[in-house]
Amino acid sequence: MTSGRPHLGGAAAGRHRASPAMLLLSLVAVIGAACGGTSSGSSSSSGGLASSQVLKFPAFQNPGTWDPGEADAEVDTEFMQNVFDNLWRFDSTLAIVPDIATAVPTASNGGISSDGLTYTVHLNPNATFDNGDKVTAEDVLYSWDRAVALQGPYSSNLSAIAGFSAVQSAAGSPPASTTGSPLNFQQSIENGLWGCFRGKGTSGATCNSSLEMSGLTAPDGLTGYTVQITLASPCGWCMAAWTLEGTTGAIVDENVIHNDPVNWWTKPSSKTDGMVGTGAFYLASFIPKQSMVFKAVKDWWGSPKPTLTEVDVDIKDPSALATTVAAWKQGSYGIIGYGGDSGNLDYPTIESIKSSPYSKDLLTQPKGRTTWLSFNIGYPKTGGPFVGESAAAVGLRKAFDLAVDKTGLASTVCHDLLCTAATGGLITKGLIGNLGDGQDPLAQYNPTEAKQLLKQYDPTGTLTSNLTYSYNTGGLNDPVAEYLQNEWQTNLGIHVNLNPVGDASQFISNRLGGQYVMSRDGWQFDYNNPQDWYANLWGTFATAAGANTSGFDDPTYDSILNQADAEPISQALPLYDQLATILQQDVAYIPLYYSVGNFLIQPWVKGAGSNTGFDYYWDQISILSH
Amino acid sequence: MTRGTLVYIIQRLAIIALTLLVVSFGVFVVVHSLPGNAFISQRVHGKSLQLLLHEYGLDQPILIQYWNFLKGAVQGNLGVSLYIRGEPVTPLVLRELSVSCELGGAALIVTIGLGITFGVLAAIRQNTWVDYLLTSFAVIGYTVPSFVIAALGVMVFANFLGTLTNGNFAYAAVWTGTYGTIGELWLPALAIGLYTSGQITRITRASMLEVIQQDYIRTARAKGLREWVITLRHGLRNALVPVVSILGTTVVGILVGVLVIENIFGIPGLGKEFVESITEHDYNVTVGVFTIFALLIGVSNLIVDLLYTVLDPRIRY
Repeated sequence: MTSGRPHLGGAAAGRHRASPAMLLLSLVAVIGAACGGTSSGSSSSSGGLASSQVLKFPAFQNPGTWDPGEADAEVDTEFMQNVFDNLWRFDSTLAIVPDIATAVPTASNGGISSDGLTYTVHLNPNATFDNGDKVTAEDVLYSWDRAVALQGPYSSNLSAIAGFSAVQSAAGSPPASTTGSPLNFQQSIENGLWGCFRGKGTSGATCNSSLEMSGLTAPDGLTGYTVQITLASPCGWCMAAWTLEGTTGAIVDENVIHNDPVNWWTKPSSKTDGMVGTGAFYLASFIPKQSMVFKAVKDWWGSPKPTLTEVDVDIKDPSALATTVAAWKQGSYGIIGYGGDSGNLDYPTIESIKSSPYSKDLLTQPKGRTTWLSFNIGYPKTGGPFVGESAAAVGLRKAFDLAVDKTGLASTVCHDLLCTAATGGLITKGLIGNLGDGQDPLAQYNPTEAKQLLKQYDPTGTLTSNLTYSYNTGGLNDPVAEYLQNEWQTNLGIHVNLNPVGDASQFISNRLGGQYVMSRDGWQFDYNNPQDWYANLWGTFATAAGANTSGFDDPTYDSILNQADAEPISQALPLYDQLATILQQDVAYIPLYYSVGNFLIQPWVKGAGSNTGFDYYWDQISILSH
Repeated sequence: MTRGTLVYIIQRLAIIALTLLVVSFGVFVVVHSLPGNAFISQRVHGKSLQLLLHEYGLDQPILIQYWNFLKGAVQGNLGVSLYIRGEPVTPLVLRELSVSCELGGAALIVTIGLGITFGVLAAIRQNTWVDYLLTSFAVIGYTVPSFVIAALGVMVFANFLGTLTNGNFAYAAVWTGTYGTIGELWLPALAIGLYTSGQITRITRASMLEVIQQDYIRTARAKGLREWVITLRHGLRNALVPVVSILGTTVVGILVGVLVIENIFGIPGLGKEFVESITEHDYNVTVGVFTIFALLIGVSNLIVDLLYTVLDPRIRY
């Protein structure tokens, strides 16, 4: 029979019929690979500018809010600093330089009055928003008054200005929302300010002058270019705080906010709507949880003029790291690590990069973030052997501190790549207030003395039995906790329980509430002034703000802090160093490590990089031919 | 459509609606009961936290919050995101749903395409090397999790092939825009589809083996019909009923695969959102995602049930 019909179950015919099916899978793969073929993954560049000046990089977090009055996350400010401007900005060395203002006010240039209470700021008359609106004094007054009224997390940066508290009282609490939207509160603030500034004189607009800070005025009129800031009391840290980009000091356009007080920042920039700023780039597209596109502002008023024409950002989940790095290797991404994500490259990835031809594209940069261990000192209700200032409490804190090899931690846990040992005090290396390598006595490792102290203050071991160290899981926190547990077990013979908390927000809430006997603690600096650390984390101010993890409070500390905060940094620095000494003598913490950021930057991306605080501005970046 | 079928559909739709209500309420209560929230940070605590909670109505009793949510939901308004503050949830999850449907649809094509093809080939070549190969392939398919296939795929087609060809011929590991490209879609679809196609292969093979022993197949062959006509029209169609019966669970399997694979490939769909919204405490998004998943499963099962009547006219509702 030669019909060619295959016999069911016949082996010979089956060979012919099976092969297309077998080929199918291979074809799918090969065609797919062909369709997905990328441009050369070459890591070389030829020096000249590329014809396409589009930079693309991934971000591993969604933006929370880009409203400067409410922003609170690094990932947000890293983007916002390219869209908004403050009166001043930090340059690459973290020095304060003029931005919308024409000069940094000092006593010598007449910008600061002799009593240190009045700042006179002249605005650059060329400054405009990306929709063409000119920036005048009323925009500064509006932006700062609005930020104070919104009472966002960084509103305290403006707290030294006269009238700050009055505005916050006048704004009051928001009404309870029945729709789950915060519209009512923000709308009422906007309505109150509209009649004071951009809407002044328009029909129906009324000014709620109680929302205006008395210390913020425009001596040349609202449409002039001079702003006068009067402080309630001298402030040495204010300039740095006002310069912190992407937060309350940023200048926003009331014309667009008035049209949508809640969601204005989520929409592309336009004449009357969307995220309009004064920066070198504007938001051209935002697809939540997917992507963002920023475009260079044509004929931007500032400098340097942007070379990039567009910045495309893909929003990825951290679990997509492997495919993202593969895409970077293929040349699809110019950078990995921008947008506040320099901590996302894990050790195996960095190691594999270091042992590959891409090793020269790896940029390692210390970041302004310190991690330490906090003891419960001031919350008797939580208890534990470290509470109070008795010799035993301080001695036991010291014992636990000396039992930890900080250098060993950096090499064991961080492989000397992801962090460095925190030996120069709480303030990260490279920032004002860092004491210098090896200058923090709490960074010492002395297991012998540790054991002696333990024997002296807890001879029976009852005080230090059943202790628990709490931390939020993820990143380095888990291996650090295990390292600490091992150190205490080895050097003190004490088994400390670990309490990993899966939810970071819950951990922070409990920690700030003083509910842990020992906990992971840390701080990412906001602005380059020690006040950012010493006022926000210990003492009366931190306690009042609900942010004093350890509960450490000391009248001498508060007194010196108040004195330091009122002085210019040159005079304040020795006082801040005294605060460091007080905390060290009290053994208020165990220094653990300074964070290190890691970036992958294609060799054809010129000008990209980072300092201790933030990514270099996009207007410094260009794409070379490759 | 018979009256009975219509009544059946209405009953099923009512059950789906009830399921959505129960799921949304359950998820709403559970996610709001989890410790922590979307706002707390080193900077947001104390008074500023209380302000935000009040501003978003999160300090109200849970039943009132749910009632407010439900009132909006029946009008298609799932509220606003708490993580991307103020962003409306409905357009967000609908867009993500469309992306997941694209990926799920592609995975379903792989599942059915490979599963049925391999199942039929294995049956008509029973006890040959073809049968052994395809059956082994099926076993491997449903024993190796999709995320392992995905990781291997990235390693081979993106990294290895990329290095080998200097990036000129490799899987593009970046997902472009909302819907990606065919070149970006095939590997995630394959990773999900290979896993679920294994089961389809086995069922199809078993069912085909049973069908091709039937008298009417012998009759068809005796009438001189071409073999492919016998296999596809007379054999496969009748063999599909048990295959369709497991399509409902297959769709669930694909949805589970979508949850994992979207995260690995950074695909901006509901699967990525499923995990993200929980970790971000984005309550309204979480409730929206769960409810949509429940809706998808309910509707796909209904469609599968209705497909029975098409494949086997003896089945009536």
